[in-house]
Amino acid sequence: MAKNRNVGIIGIGQTVHSSHREEVNQPEMIHEAVELALKDAGMTMADVDCIVHGNMELFEMIHQPDMWHVIGDGAVGKPGLRITTGGTTGATLVCAADTLVASGMHDVVMAIGFEKLQEGHTTGGITNMADPLWGRELQTGALTGMTADAMIEEFGEERAKYAAMKHRLIMDQHAMLNPNAHRRFGFVEEMLPAMIANTPPLVGELRIVHMCSQSDGACAMIFASEKVVKKRKAKAAWVKDHVTVHREETFNLFGNVEEITTMRYAAQKLYERNGITDPRKQIDVFEMYDPSSWWGLDWIREFLMLEGDEHLKMVEKGEIGINGKFPINPSGGVVATNPIGATAMVRVAEAAMQIRGTAGAHQVKKPVKLALASGFGGTLWTVLVLLSKKRPKLAEK
Amino acid sequence: MSRRAAICAVAQTSYERDKWYLRQQGMGMEVVEQLIKATGLDFSEDRGIKQMVTVSDDLFDGRTISDSAMTDVVGAHYRCEEKVSQDGAQAVYYALSIILSGYEDVVMIVGHCKESQPSSRYLVSHMAFDPFFTRPVGLDYLAAAGLQARAYMNQAGVTEAQLADIVVRARRNAADNPKIKDLPAVTAQQVLASPMWADPIRQLMAYPVTDGAVGLIIASEERAHELTDKPVWITGAGNCYDDFFLGDRDLAGTANLQNAAARAYRMAGIKKYGKKAVDLVELSDQYAYQLPMWAEGLGLCGAGEGGAWLARGGPDKMRVNLTGGMLAGNPMMLGGLVRVAEAALQLRGEAGAKQVPGAKRAVAQGVTGPAGQLQTVVVLEN
Amino acid sequence: MAETKQELIDLRQILEIPQRFATGPVMGRFLRELRDNQRIMANRCPKCGRFQLPPREVCAICRVPVTEFVAVGPEGVIQSYDLVYYASPDPLTGKARQAPYTTVNVLLDGVEGKDTLWHLLNETDPKKIKRGMRVRAVFSETRTGSIHDIKYFEII
Repeated sequence: MAKNRNVGIIGIGQTVHSSHREEVNQPEMIHEAVELALKDAGMTMADVDCIVHGNMELFEMIHQPDMWHVIGDGAVGKPGLRITTGGTTGATLVCAADTLVASGMHDVVMAIGFEKLQEGHTTGGITNMADPLWGRELQTGALTGMTADAMIEEFGEERAKYAAMKHRLIMDQHAMLNPNAHRRFGFVEEMLPAMIANTPPLVGELRIVHMCSQSDGACAMIFASEKVVKKRKAKAAWVKDHVTVHREETFNLFGNVEEITTMRYAAQKLYERNGITDPRKQIDVFEMYDPSSWWGLDWIREFLMLEGDEHLKMVEKGEIGINGKFPINPSGGVVATNPIGATAMVRVAEAAMQIRGTAGAHQVKKPVKLALASGFGGTLWTVLVLLSKKRPKLAEK
Repeated sequence: MSRRAAICAVAQTSYERDKWYLRQQGMGMEVVEQLIKATGLDFSEDRGIKQMVTVSDDLFDGRTISDSAMTDVVGAHYRCEEKVSQDGAQAVYYALSIILSGYEDVVMIVGHCKESQPSSRYLVSHMAFDPFFTRPVGLDYLAAAGLQARAYMNQAGVTEAQLADIVVRARRNAADNPKIKDLPAVTAQQVLASPMWADPIRQLMAYPVTDGAVGLIIASEERAHELTDKPVWITGAGNCYDDFFLGDRDLAGTANLQNAAARAYRMAGIKKYGKKAVDLVELSDQYAYQLPMWAEGLGLCGAGEGGAWLARGGPDKMRVNLTGGMLAGNPMMLGGLVRVAEAALQLRGEAGAKQVPGAKRAVAQGVTGPAGQLQTVVVLEN
Repeated sequence: MAETKQELIDLRQILEIPQRFATGPVMGRFLRELRDNQRIMANRCPKCGRFQLPPREVCAICRVPVTEFVAVGPEGVIQSYDLVYYASPDPLTGKARQAPYTTVNVLLDGVEGKDTLWHLLNETDPKKIKRGMRVRAVFSETRTGSIHDIKYFEII
């Protein structure tokens, strides 16, 4: 089992993500992203063979929204597919688009992820994922303080809280450089002690400032076969590999320790398949799906397969900053911008922008040859995508 | 680079009006157990099932991320699972691409839907319409079908009496389908006397409310031969969207289905439908008028000739929906996947009383959305 | 030419689709035992021996059907908990929840493995809750075959 054909990302479009997009309806908002992606690729809709679409429908309560959205995404008269996998949807759509092009069934596939969270209730919508018979009364969307508790127990309250807030700070500093980001506060280091002391709690030690945005936004990406990339002399970010790892229906975490998180498992597989033995050295930038500062902090250890307090040190020393040794989320990440059906795709889009050198003010300065992007959702699932600047060498048949 | 993909196993639960005694997980488990038994596959990291494609709908399930409920029973713990939230024939199209891409050699598809769970399946489809215009005017998939039915019947010369005969035939054919339960035979008079739901669609002309699950194992050529001695090759797949607002569409026409069929036929190396080229057809007739309408779109007869095709016995002659079709009762979301399953059983020689002797090639079709807005066509060969 | 600002019209609605959720034999048995016998039933995987709470059709890790039921609890130990300050809407009722409330993962006596029962704790003062504390299920007077037949867990 080895990929048959190379697939390059040659067009990226994102709306400005915001909580105030009342001036557009869903297909209009998607249309913005589609137009931007086509413009970026120097293409028109006629060049696109297939559209893959996804979101989390219970937020907006639209059944089969891709039907209505054909009036905005150009799918009329074309093939298409709709895949929805919760928070990981955007990244799953990337995998699907990549697969469809690699199969040879289509040469150019556009993937579209979107959400209009202001049209529903985010936490209520996520709570709806729980089993109606036993979990739905209890779940509070994606909000939990258990990771914070676990980290406080492992590293001590002061150190853990400071590291989480430092992570938050760095993400905001990055968001300030990203004109598409939703929430851009302008936090500075001096504010941290007051923020730690005063931010209102949501659940346990998970405080409002730690938690991701609830955004309206859309992202569209154009995936092309090697033949098309060559013919158009397009600037491509190549899809090198991807891994998707789901886990059982329950959360069963914390206090019920898993053998291994899906993040670490996905990383293990991906690194092994791609000859990555030292991810911090070999990977140039990581767009991680960080639904909260606590998770964003905790999962550095999982994705980079570290032990002990290595990950805390990375954050404390600012190594994950945009000019640091291992930049994480130069876009500002999910904590700054979260249009859920698009979010995981935005991670891949931002990673692709870093490779193509089109990230503008939030471009990392060092050359980017390999970029990693993660998606998160469901009962702690992971989708991990590896992009490369160099066209991948396909395995011999 | 000529990879091929084959269906190696087919599994279905029974289709019933109300599977109150099982929840989604229970239905899925039945399907998975049958598939594992048929192929001897496990879920091991090296040669087991690592890629699952599920089919379900969040609004029908009343559950966000409806596939998270199915993770356990489809064996997706620490494996890859992706949910297609459209008619299951789309999952076949996607699974084909997974095999052809080289990424995986084995894919398991498991789809489920319980139309009995929401107070009305039409309340669910009502939500497919935009909140500002088409929803407030009262559209749902039934009303949309009614509008299409009237336009189509006028154009193709299809009569109400012919619709009644289609229903009678479907139920008679379904009597030989071991998966169809509690579907009484009806007379044409009973059909014509049944309550009017959305003119011209009467109650008995609509597919009945149904619960069920269905699954397939699809594998690459090298694995297929170890999993089954009767592989059914997926030689063509195509799909195509029509426009959304009913007024923007040629409601009586089948342009998008013709487009989807053309793609599938081209990929399969056939120019068009022909009785010699295709031994049987499984199409998703959610409502009786769709039998001749989708037949036109697939090329079984010319445009506007549906009525004439029915009159000369087209469905029997061309071996369409020999086990009852969707009219006999499959839930929305699964119609097209069941069509693929039934066609595959034919090509494996396992269709029992309805077996077409020596069947070599079949066409299966699925629909998603209002009035067939998204059409999917799959070509199978043994 | 000056552009007149367009008035934005929005549409506010509450959408609901009534549901009748089937329980199936496994969850059904769990709920029936709560209602009729005030007993908490887990099920045990025949392969790895782990208990699941509530019981589920298969063991996700071993990928085998699970059919053996074992009564556990009603007492156990707090493995972890969440103090929820945020009052979010409950999608089952459409109403906002009363906050604060505490959700708790209880490792019930008799459970082999680490699977906890997720439920409510009737204490919302963080100073009074600690991991490792013993708790007990308190059953409702009127029981209907729902997870609410356990009213909450209380600290012993």
